Amino acid sequence: MTANSGSSNNAASGSAASGKAASGRWKRWVPAAVIPVVIAGAAIAVPLSANATSSLPTKTPQEVLELIGNSSVTAFSGTVEQTANLGLPELPAGVSSSSLGGGSATSGPSSSTPDPAGSSGAPGASASTGSDSSAATVSSALEMLTGTHTARVYVGGPTSQRVQVLDQLAETDVVRNGSDVWVYDSSKQTAEHTTLPAKSATPGTGEAGAPDATVQSPAELAQTLLADVDPTTNVSVGGDVTVAGRSAYDLILTPQATDTLVGSVSIAVDSATGLPLQVNVTARGAAATAFTTGFTSLSLDTPSSDLFTFTPPAGTTVTEKAAPTAPAAPGAGQAAPGSAPSDAQKPIVTGTGWDAIVELPAGADSASLTSNPLLAELTSPVTGGHLLTTTLVNVLVTDDGRVFAGSVSADQLQAAAAAAAK
Amino acid sequence: MGAAPDEGESTPSASPAREGSAASTGTRTTPSAGWALLGSEISVLFRRRRTWVMLIALAAIPILIAVAVRISSAGSTPGRGPAFLGQITNNGLFVGLVALIICVPLFLPLTVGVVAGDTIAGEASSGTLRYLLVAPVGRGRLLLVKFVAAATFCVAATLVIVIAGAAIGAALFPVGPVTLLSGDTVSLGEAGVRALLIAAYVTLSLLGLTAIGLFISTLTDIPVGAMAATVVFAIISQVLDSLPQLDWLHPWLFTHYWLNFADLLRQPIDWSSFGSNALLQLAYIAVFGALAYGRFSTKDVLS
Repeated sequence: MTANSGSSNNAASGSAASGKAASGRWKRWVPAAVIPVVIAGAAIAVPLSANATSSLPTKTPQEVLELIGNSSVTAFSGTVEQTANLGLPELPAGVSSSSLGGGSATSGPSSSTPDPAGSSGAPGASASTGSDSSAATVSSALEMLTGTHTARVYVGGPTSQRVQVLDQLAETDVVRNGSDVWVYDSSKQTAEHTTLPAKSATPGTGEAGAPDATVQSPAELAQTLLADVDPTTNVSVGGDVTVAGRSAYDLILTPQATDTLVGSVSIAVDSATGLPLQVNVTARGAAATAFTTGFTSLSLDTPSSDLFTFTPPAGTTVTEKAAPTAPAAPGAGQAAPGSAPSDAQKPIVTGTGWDAIVELPAGADSASLTSNPLLAELTSPVTGGHLLTTTLVNVLVTDDGRVFAGSVSADQLQAAAAAAAK
Repeated sequence: MGAAPDEGESTPSASPAREGSAASTGTRTTPSAGWALLGSEISVLFRRRRTWVMLIALAAIPILIAVAVRISSAGSTPGRGPAFLGQITNNGLFVGLVALIICVPLFLPLTVGVVAGDTIAGEASSGTLRYLLVAPVGRGRLLLVKFVAAATFCVAATLVIVIAGAAIGAALFPVGPVTLLSGDTVSLGEAGVRALLIAAYVTLSLLGLTAIGLFISTLTDIPVGAMAATVVFAIISQVLDSLPQLDWLHPWLFTHYWLNFADLLRQPIDWSSFGSNALLQLAYIAVFGALAYGRFSTKDVLS
C-alpha cells in the first residue's frame, strides 16, 4: 500500500511507476487468489471436524435398543430438519400455493376450513369441502414430501410440547399445554383449539392428531419403526456417527423381504442419553437417502415454560375443534398424498412387515382424488388406474376409486388390486 | 449523470484536509487522512440529488402500501398478497415489514447497485479519480472508504423504509402490541428492537452485493454499465435460488438468506439464519473486496 501511494503521487500513477511497481504488481492479486482458497478450505474443513467422532464402546443392537428404552430425557429443545428426496416433482417455492387456488400451501391437511360443514366431521373434514380444498391438501402434503423443511421442537415434559414448523415468512405452531392443544397458522392467522380427553393424555396421540404430523421428531419416528422390528428385519449397529454435534450409535434395519422398496432404515441413537437423533430411509439399490429427519441442534435444558402457554393473538380466527374420537392412524410414518384424506372406512391391510399393502375402499374422497388435476399431473396411467411412483412408496388409484399403497413395486400393487376386485 | 458538478464542489473542500493531515504527520497513509476522506465521501454521497431521490422513492413504497390498504374498502384475505399484508389493518407497524418484503428482492438491490456501481467508475468517468489518488491514502484504503460509504447508504436505505413504514402505519392505523410469527405477542418496545434487528439484517444482506458492485466498478469507466451489471448479478442470483434443481448451489448465493429476516420475528428468535447470512456476506465481501483490490491497485488510472 505504501509503495503504491508513493507511485500514485505522480498523477498518472500506474504508467509512471514502471520498474519497481510492475514487479510487485502480481502481489496485489495475492489476496484475491488466497481468500477464495481459504473460504473453500474452511467450508470443507468445518463440517469434517464437526463430524469427527470419538470411538464409542461397541454395542450390540440389543444394547442400543435398551439404551433407547432407558432414555430418561423428558425435556429438550432442538431444531429438526426433514429432507425428502422421493423422486416427486418439486415445485418452486411459492408457486404451489398460488397456482392451485387452494390458499397457502403451508397448512397441514384438514386444518382451518372455516365453513361450518368442515368443522363438523372431525378428522376427515377437509375432503368434504370439495376438490378445491382437496387440491390444497394434496399440494400441502406434496410440499411436505419434497425438499427440506425445518421445525423447532420444544419438549418441557410429557404434557407440554411445542412444535414450530418454520417456513419463509410464515410459521405453523402446535402448542400443547396439559389437555389444551393449539394449532396456529401465521399465514392464515387462524388458531384451532382442541381439548384432549383426559384418557388420551399421552404424548403420542397429542401430536398424531396435529396437522403437521408429517414433520415428526426423530423420537416418534424411531418408535413407530422400532415397533415394527420383528422377524422380517435384520437389525445391526453400524459405525459411529455424529448428529447435531453429539456422538451416536447407528442402528441399521434392513428388511429381509426382497420385494419391498425400502433398502434400509438407519436410526442414530445418542450415545449419552439414548435419544434417537436422526432417521434415514434409503430406497433399495439407491446410494443417497430418500428421506431424512434429524436434529441439527439439540439442547437438553428444559425450555422456558412461557413457550407452552398460548393465547391466540388479536385478529386471529379461532375455531374450536372436537377432540379426535378415533385415533387418526398415521399410516406407515410418511403417508403418501393419495392416502391423506383417510375417511371413516377402515383401510384393509394385506400382508405383514415391509411389503404390506394398504387398501382404501372406494369412497367420496377417492372420487375427488381421481378428478384432481394436480394428482393427474403427478400420476401416470397404468392398466386399471393411475400410479403415483416415489422411491419409497407406490400408490395406485384404481379407476373405480380404490387406493392401494405400499412400499412395493407397481406390479404387486396391480396384482393386489386385481385380486381384491375378484 | 449530474454527478460531475457535485464532485467538482466536493474535491476542493476535501483536499485541504487531506493536504493538511499529510503535512502535519509527515506520513503518507495516516488514519486521519482515511477518516477525513471517509467523511468527505459520505457527505458527497448524501449531498447528491440522486441519493435523495432514491431514498425518497424507497420511502414512498411503505406510504403507497399503507394508503392502498387504508382506502380499499374490501377487507384483505389473510394468505393473499405479500406476507403480513393482512395484519396491517390491525397493527400499523407491519407496514414497514411488508415494504421490506417488497423492496428486498428488487428495489433495494437496484438502489444499492446504483451506489456501489458508481463508486470507482463514477469517479473515473467524471475525471476525478486521479485527484482522489493524489490524496495521501493508498488505493486499498480508498477502496475501503468507498465501500464503507456505500455501506452507509445501505443502512440509510433500510432505515428509511422501516421508519417511513412505522410512521405512516402509526398515522393511518391503530398501533399496539405486535403478534409474532409464532403467535406470541410482544410489547411495542420489543417490537421496535426487533424492527431494528431486521433493519440490521437487511443491511447486512446488502453488503455482499455492495462488494460485488465495488469490484465491477473497478472494471470499467462507465458507471451505468457497472450499476446495471450489479443489479443483474442480484437478479441472476435470485433466479438461481428459486430453481430446486440447483439445491447444492443455494447456500452459496448471496441472495439466499435475503428474505429470512422473518426468523427474527419468531419466539424465541431464530439466530441461525442471521449467523449464516453474516458469514456468507463476509465471505462475499472478502472475495470481491480482494478482487477489487487486485484490480484497482494494478489499474492504470488515466482519467
